[in-house]
Amino acid sequence: MTQWRQPADAAFPSVRKRTQPAFLVIAFVLLFAAACSRPHGPPANYATLEPADARLAQLYDSTCKGCHANPASGAPIVHDHDQWDTRFEKGMSVLTAHAITGFGAMPAGGQCTACKLPDYRALILFMADREVEK
Amino acid sequence: MNLSRRRALIGAGLGISAIAAGAGGLDLALRDKPEPESPPLADAKGDLLWRNWSGIQHSYPAARLAPQSESELAEAVKSAPAPIRAVGAGHSFMPLVPTDGTLVTLDQIEGVEGVTSAVASVRAGTRLGALGTALAKAGRAMANLPDINKQSLGGALATATHGTGRRLTALHGDVVSLRLVTAAGEVVACDRATKHELFDAARVSLGSLGLITQVRLNTIANKRIHRRVWLENLDDAIEAAESRWEKHRNFEFYAVPFTGLATNITHDETDEAPVARGPDRDTEFLELLRSLRNLFGFSTPLRERVAHWLFTTIDSTPEQAIDEGWKLLSTERPVRFNEMEFHLPKEVQLKALREVVKTIESTRTDIFFPIELRRIAADDAWLSPFQGGEHGSIAVHCYYKDEYKFLFTLIEPIFRRHGGRPHWGKLNSLRGRDFATLYPRWKEFLEMRREMDPDGRFLNAYLRNIFTL
Repeated sequence: MTQWRQPADAAFPSVRKRTQPAFLVIAFVLLFAAACSRPHGPPANYATLEPADARLAQLYDSTCKGCHANPASGAPIVHDHDQWDTRFEKGMSVLTAHAITGFGAMPAGGQCTACKLPDYRALILFMADREVEK
Repeated sequence: MNLSRRRALIGAGLGISAIAAGAGGLDLALRDKPEPESPPLADAKGDLLWRNWSGIQHSYPAARLAPQSESELAEAVKSAPAPIRAVGAGHSFMPLVPTDGTLVTLDQIEGVEGVTSAVASVRAGTRLGALGTALAKAGRAMANLPDINKQSLGGALATATHGTGRRLTALHGDVVSLRLVTAAGEVVACDRATKHELFDAARVSLGSLGLITQVRLNTIANKRIHRRVWLENLDDAIEAAESRWEKHRNFEFYAVPFTGLATNITHDETDEAPVARGPDRDTEFLELLRSLRNLFGFSTPLRERVAHWLFTTIDSTPEQAIDEGWKLLSTERPVRFNEMEFHLPKEVQLKALREVVKTIESTRTDIFFPIELRRIAADDAWLSPFQGGEHGSIAVHCYYKDEYKFLFTLIEPIFRRHGGRPHWGKLNSLRGRDFATLYPRWKEFLEMRREMDPDGRFLNAYLRNIFTL
């Protein structure tokens, strides 16, 4: 992981002089809140996560899970916001199209022969941890 | 100084990046082609796209079946629109799957039904990766596994998928009996004693006789194996290959074009304590080879010199791991590719390799994937490429964004000249008359196919072509 070095204060004397303690507290709280709202890396239970819907869970188990719950595959791991959020910004139509046609390391259809269009959308939302946005 | 291969690769990658920066951005990322154009998501009728793993095969099946049981499948087959084709992981590069009729997945007919003594009853939709886990719970394992374990058992058997080891057969060599659903919707069982000719035909049958639903497989005790991976000069690797195939349980090597080097991989049984495999390194290695292609592809001597220097001065420590075989024999392959693989009489395998390497290095500077060499024991299935004696395989890979048609014009003639049989799932241009000369039981297979499926309901355009002389 890349290590970021904090610049020496001496390099930013004017910034330091203008910074008020109250602003620092607010900034710290906001940063802390942001950090808490989006966990970094895969959740500890990524290997056992499953969609609540039984049919989707069956589809997920037999296809997506082979790569998306397997860090060695290089695929974005289920519920890992670090990996999913930037992809999600492309929009559901792009993600769904990529899932069906294949893109980069993602094989076409996610090897899910039984999946229908709504299944792809639901599985992407589940893996991106965005089911509330259905 | 000992450096781990991972650190060495990272160091090499940094070195290349530095060279790239110093050369004013000569890193010819431009050599990387864009994502291949995709067919439409759906056809005019609204049927959804199916595409194989690498992306070069596609179709729009009118119907998709995902039966939950053998009996449900048997009922559905009676009225399903033809051609009826089964798909597993879609790892075949040949058009075995495309259909505008019915696409069948056995993903829900999966799992191990039971293990009696050394024989496991396995549903054909079971993915090989999941099979390893399930058998291990019963203290058993497959004797051998292919390089990739995403395939379904049914798909792997249909195409004679194999691992490496001169005393180890391809997967279908472990089949004791099987059940298949016929075009008439009947369930037929066969083994060496009952319907033995169907058994010999069906073990490798491209889904053309019926849909295999259940297989009884010979297994072995789930033992630990010791994996070693190391680099060596290609000439030395070729020189030592025969003795390594003789000595090791599993041995394979990869000739790395434009480097003068080879990667050797051995697996041997051991009682030693486990040593973790560690993170995937093959992908890093592959990315490095791609960077070398991009950077120095304009000059083969320079590319070879830099590659040789990088890999021989930095990367000298063998990778090692000790674990249960099912965890080590297969590898994650996140980089997609297209592939041609032929199985040759073992006596000519290494001679053919030299010709393949020479051809690629003199004509195709865009190739960077290593060339894989494996050895497979004989078996007696009628359409087994290993029928009649031990065979040596040579597999040439192309990055999925790169042009691969040269495989047919430059590489396949070498394999054909040496009497090779193509892997059933991998690129080749052979027709029925070609297969008839390569397989002594071809005629009997055609007769069996006509008997099992007289209306050709399991035949798509490709299979209709090769099964009609």
